[in-house]
Amino acid sequence: MDTYVIVRRNGWRTGADLEEAARRSTVEGERMPDDVAWIRSYVLEERDGSVGTICVYQASSPEAIRAHAEAARLPVDEIVKVAGTVLVRPDPVPATG
Amino acid sequence: MGRNGQRGFVAQSHMVGTAPPLLEREEALAALTEALASALGGEGRVALVYGEAGIGKTTVVRAFARASRGTARVLWGACDPLFTPRPFGPLYDLAREAGSTVLLEVEREDDRTAQLASLLDLLGETPTVGVVEDAHWADEASLDALRYLARRIERVPCLLVVTYRDDEVGAEHPLRLLLGAIPSGVARRIELGPLSDRAVRELASAAGRDATGLYERTRGNPFYVTEVLAASGSGLPATVRDAVLARALGLGNEARAVLDLASVVPGQVERWLLDEVLGSASAGANVCVERGMLVPGPGGLAFRHELARQAILEALGPERRAANHRAVLHTLEARPDRDSLLPRLAHHAEAAGDAGAVVRYAPLAAARAAAVGSHREAAALYELALRYADEAGDDVRVALVEAYAHVAHLTGRLDEAIAARREAIELSRRLGDPLREGENLARLTMPFIGAGRNAEAEEAGRQAIAVLEELPPGRELAVAYAFQAYLRMLSRDNADGVAWGERARSLAEEVGDVDTLAMALNMIGTSHVMAGEIEPGCEYLERSLALALEHGLTPRVASAYGMLASGLGEMYEFDRAERWIREYLRFGGERDLDVSYITSWLAAVHVYRGRWDEGAELAQQLLAGDAGPLARITALVALGRVRARRGDPGAEEALDEALELSRPGGHLQRLGHVLAARAEAAWLAGDRERALAEARAAYPLALEKRHLWFAGELAYWQWRCGRLESAPGWIAEPYRLQLAGDALGAARAWATRGCPYERARALAESENTEARLEAVGALDELGAAPLARQLRGHLRALRVRVPRGPRPSTRDNAAGLTRRELEVLALVAEGLRNAEIADWLVVSRRTVDHHVSAILRKLGAHTRGEAAAEAARLGLLENR
Repeated sequence: MDTYVIVRRNGWRTGADLEEAARRSTVEGERMPDDVAWIRSYVLEERDGSVGTICVYQASSPEAIRAHAEAARLPVDEIVKVAGTVLVRPDPVPATG
Repeated sequence: MGRNGQRGFVAQSHMVGTAPPLLEREEALAALTEALASALGGEGRVALVYGEAGIGKTTVVRAFARASRGTARVLWGACDPLFTPRPFGPLYDLAREAGSTVLLEVEREDDRTAQLASLLDLLGETPTVGVVEDAHWADEASLDALRYLARRIERVPCLLVVTYRDDEVGAEHPLRLLLGAIPSGVARRIELGPLSDRAVRELASAAGRDATGLYERTRGNPFYVTEVLAASGSGLPATVRDAVLARALGLGNEARAVLDLASVVPGQVERWLLDEVLGSASAGANVCVERGMLVPGPGGLAFRHELARQAILEALGPERRAANHRAVLHTLEARPDRDSLLPRLAHHAEAAGDAGAVVRYAPLAAARAAAVGSHREAAALYELALRYADEAGDDVRVALVEAYAHVAHLTGRLDEAIAARREAIELSRRLGDPLREGENLARLTMPFIGAGRNAEAEEAGRQAIAVLEELPPGRELAVAYAFQAYLRMLSRDNADGVAWGERARSLAEEVGDVDTLAMALNMIGTSHVMAGEIEPGCEYLERSLALALEHGLTPRVASAYGMLASGLGEMYEFDRAERWIREYLRFGGERDLDVSYITSWLAAVHVYRGRWDEGAELAQQLLAGDAGPLARITALVALGRVRARRGDPGAEEALDEALELSRPGGHLQRLGHVLAARAEAAWLAGDRERALAEARAAYPLALEKRHLWFAGELAYWQWRCGRLESAPGWIAEPYRLQLAGDALGAARAWATRGCPYERARALAESENTEARLEAVGALDELGAAPLARQLRGHLRALRVRVPRGPRPSTRDNAAGLTRRELEVLALVAEGLRNAEIADWLVVSRRTVDHHVSAILRKLGAHTRGEAAAEAARLGLLENR
């Protein structure tokens, strides 16, 4: 499996919508464990008041990411393959939830 | 199931009449019983019982068969370790045991599908356990037949039990293909491991023997243990062989003679054969049976185990062994039914070192094997005959190398096929037979093309015609013309392809050579199609198809379907291409033909018609399998285009591999596709220099061959890079209109061909704002991010307000089903089963299972019926 970053800009009107989407994402992800693994996401505060995400996934192919997104009804703006990781310090503790 | 979990063993009947104690095979038997229960419930299964030689596979299956007699009919078939096994051997056995003659008339490979369908019916007519023993020795036709049955067993109340020695089945073993082809829901794998120390002690004590060192020596191999326990004497034999020999030591001369003779006969030795060779041997045979060394079966006597036969055979010594083989050979030769004994005759002839008999029987056995599709065995038999044919005259040898070249080509041994054709050419020259020389030269083109050695293929084709045109025209010249047409078609020299094809056609008609006529019609038709003359091309191809169907020429039928499918695909005639692809998949599916190349075309057609998910999924399915290079190239182009058009990563990798694979042939039909896709990907990635270089790399060749579509697309990319010097007026219409600046006309032309992406791309090139806004919508709908982004940029620069791209929520239906799930739901509602849906959508069973369970979950349904009812209630399937 390769690592990918998935950009989902302005994906949801509210944080609650996003939470609902995250639940669907987990359910669908568990149904295709050989093809996608959700690693982590950063939630974006979009200028128009909506919410977006940058997600890190491991996946067998870009098509697997799209199949997962389609099944969980998540938007996909762009999929970029990760060539390497530079870890400086651990992610900060999430502000909420 | 692991080795540890299931130890067990039935102590063999070395004392006739004693019921053997059943030890430690409970789990294996339970697994078989469970599989049989599924089969009895109408869902057939394949149980694979495997382990090393002597581990007790047969014993377990016999015990299971005994226990099942009340509930199911049990049929037995066996594969034997002959030099080359009997073609279809185990399947004949099964049919014979069922009292059926369905397989008896298999004389030709084309009859096979109907016969296999009858065999499946036979297995399903009543609850049945069909056993095929020792599949590691099976011939190619039997393996093909087992694969055919395994793929369809789910529909019938039959449990197919296949046993094999897993330690003799390496990665390259032909049985692997069968094992890989069994649908995962159907297969039950039952591995048999060695006995435990405790079980070995128990057996020793039951036999009243000392168990010291027995487990360590035998490593728990049940056959070894039994032999040691059955042998007289007190020492512990060092090997299985020693144990068998120790057991045979006490036999009298007569019995030993029977055992020695039986050891040269793999499988069962008939009583009449023993009597014929040894005089009245019944007495000795009975002693062997009483001692448990030989076991009576339906056709005669057999060793209790192949390991025992090998031990006795090795102990014979080379001279006695050859003498016994000779005696058996002479007896079999004198039989009135010797034509049905050809594999055995070849086996004993070889083992007796009788060159004359090898050259007499091996080619006959080979021809019989090849006729029913056991090409691998046929090749081995021809190789054998050739090894012994040094003394034979050139006239005998030339026929052998020709036959060998044919089967070597069919089994993918291209170098051997080339070498054999060259020898045949040389021998024909020596014999002063230019007709034969010419035909061999013509047929030499095929393996050369297969090996990517185009220049040598051209040379052979030229020589064939040069040699044959010196002589009065006949069948051989028709063949040479047809192969010349084939070469010209491959090079996309279409006018020449038609001209040579016409010559082949008229001559083949004159001499009444149907096979060559079907080939000629195919080449003429394909060349027309490639020239853009679609209607006459299809007409010729359909004539070729009808002729091949009428005469049962399966390879020609497949070729006609294949050319209609891929040729029309290459010409952007996607409606018709798709129809022929589906016809071919049906025809090939029924016959288990390799359909990967045509399936790769379906992936490509999906992509060009805007069904990107389906195209990419199918392409990946093919790429994950063992498809050949041509199928891989087409699948990689389809996948590369989708990724490039979506802006997804991985387009470059796919198209790099496609280019690598198309270099050896160097033909336009591959390079045109691959380089056009590479130009598109580079352009979408913003690399104009590379886009230009890719397009220019194949453009001159496309112009030279007047390929409407490749020339069109390659010109188009140069034009998009602003660097097109010139393009001819004959390129395909949509591209011609685009290059002339008629974007809206081009968009209409693309719409006619059913290409939504190309249509949107043309609209985007228009000056008309309405059209360009429509293009944005269409590109968003397709998920064509890079082009949509670019177009939005242009429009914003013109201060046009552009709507945002769609979010998935706008595409929602009440239940949140995806487009693909709706498609599957419609088929579920029609009552199709998952396997049928997989066939229809040309995706894997696993994918369909996945979709169906997602549908049930999203609709909150427990059954397919409930899902269909819920779909109707929500109106999900309306407006589809």
